Amino acid sequence: MGKEKIIPIFAIILLVVAGSSAAYVYTSQVDKETITLNNREYTIDQLFLLSEQKTIQTVEGEKTGNSVESIINKIGIACPSCYNYTIIGKDGYQQTVEWEIMKTGVLTDLKRIYFPDTPKKFWVRDIIEIEVN
Amino acid sequence: MEKLKLIAGIVLFGSLWGFSEVIIGSAINDAGLPTGAIMTGFFALFFLAFSRKMYRKPGMQFGMSLVAGSLKLFNPFVGCHLCSAIAIMAEGAIFEIIWYRMSYDFRDLNSIRMKSSMGIITAYLTYIGGYIVTQVLTPIASGATFYIENLIVFLPNIFGSGLIAAIIGIVALPITILLSEIDLSLKDTLYYPTTLGISILCWVTVIGNWFIA
Repeated sequence: MGKEKIIPIFAIILLVVAGSSAAYVYTSQVDKETITLNNREYTIDQLFLLSEQKTIQTVEGEKTGNSVESIINKIGIACPSCYNYTIIGKDGYQQTVEWEIMKTGVLTDLKRIYFPDTPKKFWVRDIIEIEVN
Repeated sequence: MEKLKLIAGIVLFGSLWGFSEVIIGSAINDAGLPTGAIMTGFFALFFLAFSRKMYRKPGMQFGMSLVAGSLKLFNPFVGCHLCSAIAIMAEGAIFEIIWYRMSYDFRDLNSIRMKSSMGIITAYLTYIGGYIVTQVLTPIASGATFYIENLIVFLPNIFGSGLIAAIIGIVALPITILLSEIDLSLKDTLYYPTTLGISILCWVTVIGNWFIA
């Protein structure tokens, strides 16, 4: 089979893969009001009542939210530095960070997490769950 | 002399690519449009394919991506300097791999079906390839740990987000091939001042913005 056949067939296969992946992502998005944190459900207001507000400096300027360190400490995780934290967004995007990074973060009322010293890739948006591993 | 001309071409097209990523990419981002897919599907594809036909030298497009990625590091508008720079550099390398067996003058792509198909393949694979590479390398380059499970669960999103780039590629490559027919050859006395002048302008604009921001 020559290039004249292989290239169009391969292009169609890629379009099918891309289209079906986009459809899968669209149908499997989880949209919920609460954030699952260490297997318990919290509203953003509950988490904000537990914790202190703070402002951090990021590569995109100042970000104000509630201290992730105080949230984790207040929900009763005995040894925060003993775990890694996987932050999961509603689109399935997830990032795992160690406590050293996690404790520097802020959580905003738009359910987005920011860290001062990490690339933007770690700033998960529309958070639905934080796993404590 | 040929080598010097090639280096000047790498710097010129790399600077133009980086400049468009920074200036136009930021405007697209501000408009809430899918910046990465549009930039790869249209601008990256244009600069990579156009320069390939013009210079016909292997490795040139990877060199361009290194220049464009370096320029992106000075981008004052978008926070993720590192991830974008890594993605651009990866895109150049992936383009070289995809086009390795293809002719430099596009004679393999003799029909609109072939041009559009190659546009889909190039735009889609460079986009998702760059996306995956940056997901792996950014944590490592920034001193954090890379967790492969985070990448695996997100692969459907990456594959799906490349759909826009692929659709743009359907028209972007045929247009690029059409435009590459225009004769842009210059005499040496004009070639070097022109390439150097445009490249400097791109860098000064981007770095100038970095200081202002």
